[in-house]
Amino acid sequence: MTSQAPVYLDYAATSPADPRVAAAMGECLTRDGVFGNPSSMHQHGRLARERVEQARAQAAGLINAPPQQLVWTSGATESNNLAILGSARAAATRSRHSGRHVLTARTEHKSVLDPCRRLEHEGFQVSYLDTDHEGLIAPQRVREALRDDTVLVSIMHANNEIGVLQDIEAIAAICHERAVPLHVDAAQSAGKVALDVERLQCDLLSFTAHKLYGPKGVGALYFAPARRASLQPLVFGGGHERGLRSGTLAVHQIVGFGVACELAAAAWRADAEHCERLRARLWQALSTIDGALLNGHATQRVPGILNVSFTGIEGESLLMGLTELSLSTGSACSSDSDEPSYVLRALGRDTELAQSSLRFSLGRYSTEQDIDLAIAAVTREVRRLRAAAP
Amino acid sequence: MTARLEDPLGPQVRQLFGALYHAGEPTGTAPVVSGEAGREQRGTRVRFMLQLCGERVLQARYRAYGCPYTLAACEWLATRLESAGRGSLGAPADWVQQLQIPQARLGRLLVVEDALIAALAAADKSVTDS
Repeated sequence: MTSQAPVYLDYAATSPADPRVAAAMGECLTRDGVFGNPSSMHQHGRLARERVEQARAQAAGLINAPPQQLVWTSGATESNNLAILGSARAAATRSRHSGRHVLTARTEHKSVLDPCRRLEHEGFQVSYLDTDHEGLIAPQRVREALRDDTVLVSIMHANNEIGVLQDIEAIAAICHERAVPLHVDAAQSAGKVALDVERLQCDLLSFTAHKLYGPKGVGALYFAPARRASLQPLVFGGGHERGLRSGTLAVHQIVGFGVACELAAAAWRADAEHCERLRARLWQALSTIDGALLNGHATQRVPGILNVSFTGIEGESLLMGLTELSLSTGSACSSDSDEPSYVLRALGRDTELAQSSLRFSLGRYSTEQDIDLAIAAVTREVRRLRAAAP
Repeated sequence: MTARLEDPLGPQVRQLFGALYHAGEPTGTAPVVSGEAGREQRGTRVRFMLQLCGERVLQARYRAYGCPYTLAACEWLATRLESAGRGSLGAPADWVQQLQIPQARLGRLLVVEDALIAALAAADKSVTDS
């Protein structure tokens, strides 16, 4: 191992909390701070409630939503579960004759795919859309796959492994025509690109704090009941969050999330330009390595994610050789497995190429020096492993 | 970040993986035999090449595609073949113990063993034929 701390290039897995976020959270923990239970009617409780509602407005501001349409959750995984299980079950409960079909994509995050599998066990039918070889879903494919009994469409905004951005506006327009609710997993795009639920016209949208320099363990679900969706809770006991998510609110995390959203709303354009410039520098150098292949569409993507496969190189060896870097071979959630990335397989990459990929994800604190160090390290390791390969 | 964590590969595997001195082909003019196993599509492919002088292994080299444990095992085996001969090699279960390789990687080491056995069989045949 090198003696210095590795360069962090795994912002798509998680990001460090902004110091201003940490400071705001610290104000909500101890006796001299805002530690009350926001459900309590006394002054401590009301102070806490005020901070929670301030945070709700800050988080809603990031996605241009009315604050009352946000439900606090423990993160994007719970938001996705609530959106998918909650809305599909609500639709099925409304009438015995209502639809039981859900439409999603093969390249979605596990926190979307696993609830969909759960629904299949409950008697729902789920259709999984294929992407093209660049990871994109043609909106027309959504139109073709919608059925009379479709009760929900769930399509992610930015893919967590390859960073491509789906055309949510066009997909939402199709869903709108057919009066089918649309859920969008925006965990990787919130605070990274412009995100406006009024413009997108989606019904449900998940996002999380720890991808945008906030704390882990808190997220939100935007839910617009006035449109097409209805929602059944998954957690019961107290009726918090309009009865949609019971449980004492984690004030310090919610406050941290709110501050992170406010900072992101002010900084996302500059962050995006910064990440785009660094990503271009990285790809320009890596693309000169023989057998380096970009995964995902070249331009329709979030600024900070670059996924590259290297022909003839085994991914784990490449990753473990890069001791000076902290990055992933696939999504952090599935990288304990040595199975090739299902996202890259869905793009048509063969097993070998899917196993040889690196995901570089850049963020606010990434520097040119970080990128140059990454370029040198990857070039060195690819050469070394190629020299040893059959 | 100030905390230093243990290397997930362990010290021996890290050292071997970091210095693949025996990767490549044997040099010199003496005859070379080889044995190969595995496929890239399955995650592991190994080829051992042995340069012989009678029964003695002058140079052991390999080419390998696989995880760090696979490469480390190849390097370790090549070193031992040259320094201590084939009697010193043991079996994959011994390699797991000696190099502190996770049991879950035993399947990968079986590919290494297959390649090694094939190369040693080719060496035996070479000696018999000559």
